[in-house]
Amino acid sequence: MNRRIAIRNMALILGSAAVLPSCFNDKKGKPVVELKHLEIDADQENLVTNLAETILPRTSTPGAKELGINLFILKMIDDCTGKEQQDAFKAGLKEFDEAAEKKYGKSFNQLTQQERTAFVVDLEKQAKERGAKEEAAVKADKNHKPEEPAKLDTFYGMVKGYTVFGYTTSQYFMTKQVVYELVPGRYNAMFPVKKKATA
Amino acid sequence: MAFLNIDSVKERTFDAIVIGSGMSGSWAAKELGEKGLKTLVLERGRDVKHIKDYPTTNLYPWEFPHHGVIPEDVQKANPIVNRCYAFGEDAAHFFVKDAEHPYVQEKPFDWIRGYQVGGKSLLWARQTQRWSDFDFEGPARDGFAVDWPIRYKDIAPWYSHVEKFAGISGNRDGLPHLPDGEFLPAFPLNAVESYFSKHVKTKYSRDVISARCAHLSKPNPIHLQQGRAQCQERTLCQRGCPFGGYFSANSSTMPWALKTGNVTLRPFSVVESIIYNEKLGKATGVRVIDTNTKEAIDYHADVIFLNAAALNSNLVLLNSTSNRFPNGLGNDSGTLGKYVAFHNYSAHISAEVEGFEEWATDGRNPAGGGYIPRFRNLHKQETNFLRGYGAGLSAYRGRTSSGEGIGDELKQNLAKKDLGPWRVGSHMMGETIPKESNYVALDKSKKDPWGIPQLKISVDYDDNDAKMKADYLAQLTEMFTSAGFKNIKGESDHRAPGLDIHEMGGVRMGNDPKTSMLDKWHRLHACQNVYVTDGASMTSTSYQNPSLTYMAFAARAVDHYVGEKKKLNS
Repeated sequence: MNRRIAIRNMALILGSAAVLPSCFNDKKGKPVVELKHLEIDADQENLVTNLAETILPRTSTPGAKELGINLFILKMIDDCTGKEQQDAFKAGLKEFDEAAEKKYGKSFNQLTQQERTAFVVDLEKQAKERGAKEEAAVKADKNHKPEEPAKLDTFYGMVKGYTVFGYTTSQYFMTKQVVYELVPGRYNAMFPVKKKATA
Repeated sequence: MAFLNIDSVKERTFDAIVIGSGMSGSWAAKELGEKGLKTLVLERGRDVKHIKDYPTTNLYPWEFPHHGVIPEDVQKANPIVNRCYAFGEDAAHFFVKDAEHPYVQEKPFDWIRGYQVGGKSLLWARQTQRWSDFDFEGPARDGFAVDWPIRYKDIAPWYSHVEKFAGISGNRDGLPHLPDGEFLPAFPLNAVESYFSKHVKTKYSRDVISARCAHLSKPNPIHLQQGRAQCQERTLCQRGCPFGGYFSANSSTMPWALKTGNVTLRPFSVVESIIYNEKLGKATGVRVIDTNTKEAIDYHADVIFLNAAALNSNLVLLNSTSNRFPNGLGNDSGTLGKYVAFHNYSAHISAEVEGFEEWATDGRNPAGGGYIPRFRNLHKQETNFLRGYGAGLSAYRGRTSSGEGIGDELKQNLAKKDLGPWRVGSHMMGETIPKESNYVALDKSKKDPWGIPQLKISVDYDDNDAKMKADYLAQLTEMFTSAGFKNIKGESDHRAPGLDIHEMGGVRMGNDPKTSMLDKWHRLHACQNVYVTDGASMTSTSYQNPSLTYMAFAARAVDHYVGEKKKLNS
């Protein structure tokens, strides 16, 4: 798979590495989280929080906000990505909000939860389609140079990636959902399972 | 004043000095201390006490500020060590940071170091295979480097000696080219690894064995006496193991050495040079720079064991000049710093496996899986390259979780516990051929923060390495294909030498003082009270993980020295 497509797909599907940082010195009010590099304002911080909560909402189980993943995302982008990625994040955030504005006539933060969900579902669908198209193009022509992913996709990929990473490495997930063992005290090399059984 | 000086010299005089407290130095210290010699161990880094100084060892993933990821500014500031697979948020404190200990790369070389008591024994991958005469006779047979002055029979008892104390798990596989040792039970192969092992044995007469590793699968009384306990299969070894479940200098040899009451440990002591006395015709001590005070202090002893890790042992000898040895201590041959070699880990392969759905694994395998001993050019030369390679082999099966979708769908996808298909992978571990053109030297102008010349490294791959790599990829692809594995992807990466963390040579052993630095007992030919028993002494590299061999070398050399001393005294 082409590296660029691979990275985009990975960001969309997995959500580990790759993204941006910064600090919030606000123009529209101070953000809650203290950042060293990434400059975003309170509105933008809210957008990230709302987006994270849209990706991972409170249901019968905790959502992004309750688990502090909204802040984790910004911390990771601030500390664990470079300036280039941080710039892409900020540009993408702007494009993301503009796209919401274009579609609904109001900013993402002003959308109802339903509208936010519909917007994000649509976004993922489109990105996936573009990814599949690029992949097919590469398959057909090895020299095909895929386009730079849109900043909006990069931004979304980063937020989703760190949402998933933060969630799957959170105390909640690792104690209530998959149960991480610090000390297994065993290695059973031939562990019988039924087909389709759980681990 | 005169009295003070005499007292001070007395305080700084020992029977023996060991330079370095890691894999081989800690062994020298233990053996010397046990034999009753007052021994000073010099360590350039800080002290790391077993358990007490393992700050991350019991942290959960969510307790790390970045859940394990190294922050960007740390990565940017450390491009070299950042390339090391084990440099994560949980173990970064045991690695040397690039800027703190500069060196000169005449050619790209990723020098990965751990400067602390215990050295890299806190960070190694714990794989331990013996050499055989297929390895010790390699140069003589294949016509490169110089002949080793020792054979397997010389070192075999010392492998046993260190294996019993360190604790090595493995099977008695009965392979002439990978001799069995004093084993604790092996960590077994899983379903796919076992299948592959049987398949390649039948089809190719090649072997896939349980990886042999320095883990206490079932401790013996000697291990419990060290205060160590059974390996808990945590596989968080790079954080330091509070159970002493794997061998490290910190959990095993260093505390044992200190317990003899004969060993003094001095951290924060960078060795500037070994002091040579021309009238006496021998080394009389070591000059260190205290890294806190920058003060130069001389220590004195009858014998010096140099175990600073391969390239730093080269540096110390190169910087130990005198009228007698203007080009570095013991360097009559002119070979000091030359014939440096390493291992070639720059290829790997992965594939998907169909079937075996009725099996999974439970817990974690500290051995890492299977091991493919060398099968190329073993009994005869059969390829267009010299020597051969071994390989790791491991199969694994994960959950089918995915990050697809959003909302409830995403939560469910992430929490899925159904098992996915098996996958299998292997990485190459190739021998590189020592060459005069692969060398280290002192940089003429650049000094380190303690005023010691920086090491200049000029080491590269060659044509033999390229051919060997191509053969590894071809052979493993064929074996995987034949085993029915699907979607096989062989990949070569473009890593610089050094990232294998198996740099060796520069102070090679040999029978002829004209072409080598060390005799068969690891003594400098030209200065016989200095022993070098770490990776610097390697005449050739073979393909096995080298630490076990360094440990055996160190124990054997100490035994030799003490034997000689007794002879003189009797």
